[in-house]
Amino acid sequence: MAFLGQEEQIREYQDRFKYLYAALFIGFIIILGRLVHLQILQGDKLRQVSMENHLKRVKIAAPRGMIFDRNRTLLIDNRPAFDLEIIPQYLKESKQSERVIHQLAKLIHMSDQEIKNKLDKARTQPSFMPVKIKVDLTRDEVASVESWKIDMPGVQVEQEIKRTNIYGDIAAHLLGYIGEVSQTEIPRLNKMGRRQYKLGDNKGKSGLEERMEETLRGIDGEKMVEVDALGRVKLERGKGRVLGAAIEKPAVPGKNLILTIDQDLQLAITKAFGDKSGSVVAIDPRNGEILAMVSRPSFDPTEFSRGISPVLWNKLLANENNPLRDKTLQDHYSPGSVFKVVTAIAGLEEGVIDENTKFRCTGSIRVGNRVYHCHSKRGHGEMNVVSAITQSCDVFFYRVSQKLKSVDDIAKWALHLGLGRKTGINLAREASGLVPTEQWKQKRFGDPWNAGETVTVAIGQSFVLVTALQLANLYASIANGGTLYRPFIVKEIESFGGQVLKEFKPEALDKTRLSAKTYELVKQGLWGAVNSPHGTGFWSKLPGMDFVGKTGTVQVIRIAADKIYQKCESMKFRERHNAMYAGFAPANNPVIAVAVIGEHACHGATFAAPVAKAVIKTYLEKYYPDIYGEKVLAARLKSKAKPVGIPPKPVNENEDIVANDDFENSRTTAPPKEPVDADDADAGGEQP
Amino acid sequence: MTHSSMESPAPLDENTSRTGMYEEELKKFNWNLILLEIAIFGIGMWNLISATAVQDKSLGLYKHQLVWFVTALAATGLVLLVHYSLFSRLAYLIYFANLLLLVAVLFVGKSSLGAKRWIGFGFFHIQPSEFMKLSLIICMAKYFETDRTIGGYGLRDLLLPTVLVAVPVGLTMMQPDLGTALIMMLIGVSMFLFIKIQGRTLMMIAVCVAVAMPVAYKFALRPYQRQRLISFIDPQADPRGSGYNSIQSMVAVGSGKLFGKGYRKGTQSQLNFLPEHHTDFIFSVFSEERGFVGCVILLALYLAFMMGGLSVAHQSHDKFGILLSLGLLMMFFWHIVINLGMVMGMLPIVGVPLPFMSYGGSALVTAVLAVAVLTNIANKKFMF
Repeated sequence: MAFLGQEEQIREYQDRFKYLYAALFIGFIIILGRLVHLQILQGDKLRQVSMENHLKRVKIAAPRGMIFDRNRTLLIDNRPAFDLEIIPQYLKESKQSERVIHQLAKLIHMSDQEIKNKLDKARTQPSFMPVKIKVDLTRDEVASVESWKIDMPGVQVEQEIKRTNIYGDIAAHLLGYIGEVSQTEIPRLNKMGRRQYKLGDNKGKSGLEERMEETLRGIDGEKMVEVDALGRVKLERGKGRVLGAAIEKPAVPGKNLILTIDQDLQLAITKAFGDKSGSVVAIDPRNGEILAMVSRPSFDPTEFSRGISPVLWNKLLANENNPLRDKTLQDHYSPGSVFKVVTAIAGLEEGVIDENTKFRCTGSIRVGNRVYHCHSKRGHGEMNVVSAITQSCDVFFYRVSQKLKSVDDIAKWALHLGLGRKTGINLAREASGLVPTEQWKQKRFGDPWNAGETVTVAIGQSFVLVTALQLANLYASIANGGTLYRPFIVKEIESFGGQVLKEFKPEALDKTRLSAKTYELVKQGLWGAVNSPHGTGFWSKLPGMDFVGKTGTVQVIRIAADKIYQKCESMKFRERHNAMYAGFAPANNPVIAVAVIGEHACHGATFAAPVAKAVIKTYLEKYYPDIYGEKVLAARLKSKAKPVGIPPKPVNENEDIVANDDFENSRTTAPPKEPVDADDADAGGEQP
Repeated sequence: MTHSSMESPAPLDENTSRTGMYEEELKKFNWNLILLEIAIFGIGMWNLISATAVQDKSLGLYKHQLVWFVTALAATGLVLLVHYSLFSRLAYLIYFANLLLLVAVLFVGKSSLGAKRWIGFGFFHIQPSEFMKLSLIICMAKYFETDRTIGGYGLRDLLLPTVLVAVPVGLTMMQPDLGTALIMMLIGVSMFLFIKIQGRTLMMIAVCVAVAMPVAYKFALRPYQRQRLISFIDPQADPRGSGYNSIQSMVAVGSGKLFGKGYRKGTQSQLNFLPEHHTDFIFSVFSEERGFVGCVILLALYLAFMMGGLSVAHQSHDKFGILLSLGLLMMFFWHIVINLGMVMGMLPIVGVPLPFMSYGGSALVTAVLAVAVLTNIANKKFMF
């Protein structure tokens, strides 16, 4: 029976197989359905997900455009810099971290603890990602690390690109510095600009780097690299990558700038300027090209390009001479005597004076119930316009201004010559300066203009404010006979390969010409100031180069009447006079105009004029060697030949030395020990 | 016994030459399962070469797999030489010997990835829990063969077989090896259902299981196992953590699309996005690189294998043969269904390898031996 029972059971079992087949088919159909769902219906989407999973965009940094001076001397370059990195994973695996860190610390001049701190800070990131330990290794450090590298697992030297100002702090303000864009400015930048910025991108932060950002900045390329699940970049295996060719978009380098600047001039200025604070601007009066633009003290933008150290930054901020400020155009000053030419031009052009007009200087005049002093206590005696400019006679210009209808006549000519408004140079944060008018004062203070103010404006005091750039532009404009050009700094834009893409042309902003007579008289006055023994700048004359110009020594604070003639050097530094000089050369067909401002440098004649002299000498010798070359010039001076070009003839030479008061001025031919050339000490004229 | 005389080859007493008989036998020999096994293994090997080309712990492991397969095929020959009734006779011995090994694992086992699953034998290691599946099936087949219960099993009748299943399951979970324990349970349940349980009993069991589940979830599962369950229900809850494997695997399968990314071009596996790409997630590698078309071909082979196996069981004429082959097929069925379900995000992640495809010596040898036993049953009438 047992057997029969089993037979039955077997048949029963076999009956149940249909359920098994059914279960099998159902199972496989479900699996097939899922496959269809994933691979066919969702295939495209999941393929995309898998692509994004393993492809990582890697930026190919585009080189920023280089900057050259007018003679193609490289000023700013992208140079390799070497950083030290540690890959913590390898360090850990070596099981001798302590020894490696200790050895490394000695080689790169850091303490063990500093290195450990840096590694600790990076603990949250994957351990195969390099940690930057030190940026900008010196050449010696690179060499020693490289030679001991075998003993230091996980230590590596990484090459990076660093924006390098080849001449360090020279022209730092003009060229500017770059820095990483900040999180907060990215949305604003990306709204305005065509090119998108990402965190970690660099951007010009000042000077030309900022202004020409669109031109200098290249377009970063990108490539897709395959990464594994841990984000590690996979090396190529066998012939091809896992996915075949990677997608790549090459980087487009930025465009180069060719500046109007002459680097030799910049160097000469920096040398002549020494450790003083102030600025120098040189302009080609024929077209408005900026030949030199220097603000001292300065800083090295290279220090900024990879993140400035807080120590250095604080040091720059703490310096009371403000190295970060561009003194050529961000600061304005009372021009003082250098402004007198404007008053002269206004008087001549408005017809209130001519070459024969003479005023007698007695050392002061009274306007209303106030006395306005001349810098010469005893007075200059009989003055005409040429000798007044030459000797910087305040009283003469007081009288001229009194003859004019109002201060607005001076303002009119000041504006024609580029003062009181931005010069329009392509640099940020330019100050506009100030040329007061009656209307301006009414509006600004609600007070009517008073006659005494006109008098002080005539000698560049009271409300008048100019920047060094405006001053240079003023003298450039005078030098070319009245045409005001927009000063410009970028001469050409060329492709990274050196092909010229754009040339900048001179742009005349104001074509009001000076009459030939006015031009001649002003030039003679300026010639005399440097070349006549009575001139305030005689000490700086350049034999044979026909260097003309005007000195100025401007009080920075009001000085009580009894202290007006106090020795400048004995004052507190911050209270010392500003030294000014503005001029051009050669007198005939001028090719360069210069303005120098030395903050608290006391005397225009002893500090500012020699700097200008250095600029002009360098420039003329370099660009006109057959006329102004050292040997040619020496030969010409020896043979006593007439100067080349048209030598300005001092028409009224005899009248120039009229009064015995001139004795005082002639003493300026010796190094001035007394503040005789403190020709603007008359600001104290405000006193009753 | 009448039983055995009926089963023994009839023409023995006739004067046919032995060689002629063998030729005849060989002609009629059912090679189906072995051929399908070799075909699937071939695909598996080809796929494994790609999967183990990844620069990680799996690099070059396919060679070991090949050695195991060849060894197991040799063992297949040995299995074919005996009559499967031998397993019936040795069933309890095999069962208890294997249980001993399982116990031994807990004490002298080799740890890897937080689990003690292996016993070392000089230059190789075996995973007794894999072989336990075979031992359990043989033991269960033996138990039900000799059992005389008629007209459906009640609770009391199931007590002993339940213990037979529960002991190895418990030992395996202690390693822990949830996947293998689960497979053992499913094999047990499948066989219980096949031999017919009383409706009333079935209901009771269902209720008990429903009640026991939350308790088991709380106490029997380890935190990481619970986490797997949670992330199965909502993989996006923690896509970088526990849901990661499931998401990456689905992405791998789906991204294969119709024709796949090409051999050795599966980015998900080659770039290490897939976890355990050479073992439990081997199907993701295959489907990513070979696409829907490849998957359908592989599924068809598995289906043919299962059909061939079922027909063996179906045509078997003794209780032990039916139960044994059925148990073995259930083992394959659950391995395939659970592995594919897990890989395609339909089931929680449990470590269940895909037969003949996943890397793993013990699992492969177990599968090949199972095929050997099935082939033995299929060809029983030609055996001694």
